[in-house]
Amino acid sequence: MIQVQGFSYRFSGSDRYALRDVNLDIAPGEFVVLTGPSGCGKSTLALALGGFLFNQYDGEATGEITVAGMDVRRTPIYDIAEIVGLVQQNPEAQFCTLTVQDEIAFGLENRRLPREDIRGRMEWALQVVDAQHLKDRTLATLSGGEKQRVAVAALLAARPQVLIFDEPTSNLDPTATAQIFDVIARIREAEAITVIVIEHKVAYLRRFSPRWLRMEDGQLSVDSRQFPTSLLPTPCSLLHTPSSLLPTSDSLPPSPLVKTERLHAGYNGHTVLHDVSVEIRPGEFVAVMGDNGSGKTTFLQCLLGLLKPAEGHVEIAGLDTRTTPVSKMAQRAAYIFQNPDHQLFAETVWQEATLAPRNFGTWNAETEARTIALLDEVGLGDRHADPPYRLSYGEKRRLNLVAMLSYTPSLLLLDEILIGQDPDNAARLLEWLRARVNGGSSVVLINHAPDIAQGYATRLLFFQAGRLIIDAPTAQGFAQLARMGCEAYLPSDVTDFRKPVTPRNMTDV
Amino acid sequence: MSDTSQIPYHASRSRRAVGRLQRVTYQPGASLLHHLHPLVKLAWLAGGTVALFIMQQPMGVLIILALAGAAFPLNGLTLHKVRGLRFFAVTALTLFAVQVFFTHAETPLLQLGPLRVTETGIVKGIYTAGRLLSVILFSYLFVLTTEPNDLGYALMQAGVPYRYGFMLITALRLVPLFEQEAQTVYQAQLARGIAYDRGGVKRFFALARQFFLPLLVSAMSKVDALAVSMEGRCFGKYPRRTFLREVAFTRRDGVALGILAVAMLAVIVTR
Repeated sequence: MIQVQGFSYRFSGSDRYALRDVNLDIAPGEFVVLTGPSGCGKSTLALALGGFLFNQYDGEATGEITVAGMDVRRTPIYDIAEIVGLVQQNPEAQFCTLTVQDEIAFGLENRRLPREDIRGRMEWALQVVDAQHLKDRTLATLSGGEKQRVAVAALLAARPQVLIFDEPTSNLDPTATAQIFDVIARIREAEAITVIVIEHKVAYLRRFSPRWLRMEDGQLSVDSRQFPTSLLPTPCSLLHTPSSLLPTSDSLPPSPLVKTERLHAGYNGHTVLHDVSVEIRPGEFVAVMGDNGSGKTTFLQCLLGLLKPAEGHVEIAGLDTRTTPVSKMAQRAAYIFQNPDHQLFAETVWQEATLAPRNFGTWNAETEARTIALLDEVGLGDRHADPPYRLSYGEKRRLNLVAMLSYTPSLLLLDEILIGQDPDNAARLLEWLRARVNGGSSVVLINHAPDIAQGYATRLLFFQAGRLIIDAPTAQGFAQLARMGCEAYLPSDVTDFRKPVTPRNMTDV
Repeated sequence: MSDTSQIPYHASRSRRAVGRLQRVTYQPGASLLHHLHPLVKLAWLAGGTVALFIMQQPMGVLIILALAGAAFPLNGLTLHKVRGLRFFAVTALTLFAVQVFFTHAETPLLQLGPLRVTETGIVKGIYTAGRLLSVILFSYLFVLTTEPNDLGYALMQAGVPYRYGFMLITALRLVPLFEQEAQTVYQAQLARGIAYDRGGVKRFFALARQFFLPLLVSAMSKVDALAVSMEGRCFGKYPRRTFLREVAFTRRDGVALGILAVAMLAVIVTR
């Protein structure tokens, strides 16, 4: 079905090859999982197989790619689109219309199919992704998982022979992630199409007994029918003391850093959070979990005062968020948002890293020395003069963190900062955070990976429909989740495959 | 952001505003106007505007204004809740006053010091203020009762090249996303201690740059993703395409067009 021979690719303006001498042969109906660290070239390969690389991007290519007998480099994109469908990471970004029906019809209308055929195919595609009930909805009202299912249906309706999923679940919560993998399973049952899944969450994919590929630095490094244990994420639970051995609340200093009392909050008169009372002490590592839309981000925004309580109140280090300006609160509580691009403002890495202390008027020789040391530690020591948007995704994330740590806030509020980070990058960030916590700061991390919460957090907060339904030490929290039957939120049981790995560059900050 | 429906529209300001005023955007409903074909409404908007300007009787302008005003409650809309109306009302009144008091023509009906009120002045005032207000009300009626998406599809099926039609639809889809992102960037800047209240033109430009750069970077990645999504689904393969959606032209639409034609004829004949 797909033959790649000696294929290399370099984007114009880059001195590095995104793909280097890739050789690959995929048979019709095969199920292939492609993994590898962020920036290794997985997505570039997906763009190449779909023909997009040669239509929409400038660059220099050598080697051959053949899909269903077509020379992809020299075939119009519309002809390749009849064979290959590409599901992208962010469902939101790939919609072309505003309603479910228009979206699924879009590709068929462009192919000039008559109405009756479009209707028939739409019914079929919705049924395969188990989304018939969404047929009359507008896209804006769907949850992330529902959106991604519609995006899959929209491609499926054109009846492609190859379907490529490029990290289809990285923006989704565990419940929705499980649904997407079920959808992939249903597609496999319904049709004999070739499926390529690019994904970090390999544990979910083992049930398909796929062919495993790993890519590193633009080259294929693993190609195996057997599940290669090297693909398992860094076993965080073996890296350090289990959370049960971390100091319990008895040994923590008494005065809370964060205190919310009967907090209600929301937007535009619509209450999202209901009656949340929490105290967080210095030195706690708190994992916040729950489905998207359950109020996690709202909770975090209340803690910095970005959102004021509708009822109840929030205190950070004794300051009431209702009366303290955000700019003042920000000196004590750092907030990192989900998308690294939304929080890089300055012209150079150095300016970015030093922006906050300068704004706070706390810039001095000590801060300067600390910032230099931090940048060295995250591997940005020689990038001081580069523009931040030129950094890789992982580097941007590390810069976000340095930009916060440079002024030593005592509370770190982190909203899903591990999205799109490969396991090594994620482990590195987490080790840093742990070092901060050991130094007496507190971390509140919204995060969807149960393994990470289990490995690093001392405490688990679980939100459901705007209410805090679990607030317990991590192990007990998971026990409660297990009793509630929240399978998707439980740590995986693949520990026997894990071997201790010491991630690089993990020194105490 | 994980859930788009939850992104705050910023801050205290909008929280106060919501509930009092509606944004000038489509309000779902089931009224007569909601059910009319978007292009028929567009014809009414155009016809009404033309009629207002060729009309040579002040009473005619007042009747059109009254009809436009009455159309709001008749179609389930609350006139005074529409944002921006107060601004236009004040503007119209000011224009009216200027015309009434500063038009120097025949014998005044009323003389107040230097201010002379004449019949010509009143007539001119009615023309200026009445035409302005009526056009604003017509536009409001159109915008509040027409789903922009329907308008886009209706235009394409009426022959507007689909590439242009989808520009409109894409814009409709992206604007709320950009609004949310702008909100996030603003919050991220607050969190880094960027104060918006310290002055200076140079500082203003520095702030503007800091604000728009992240939005631009993110917009470019969105455009890339969208381009892959559109071309990957054969957008642009043929000069014409089919449509699943039928923006139906009903008898009601025919009647509405007939009424418009008769009204236009009457206006032209009686001018």
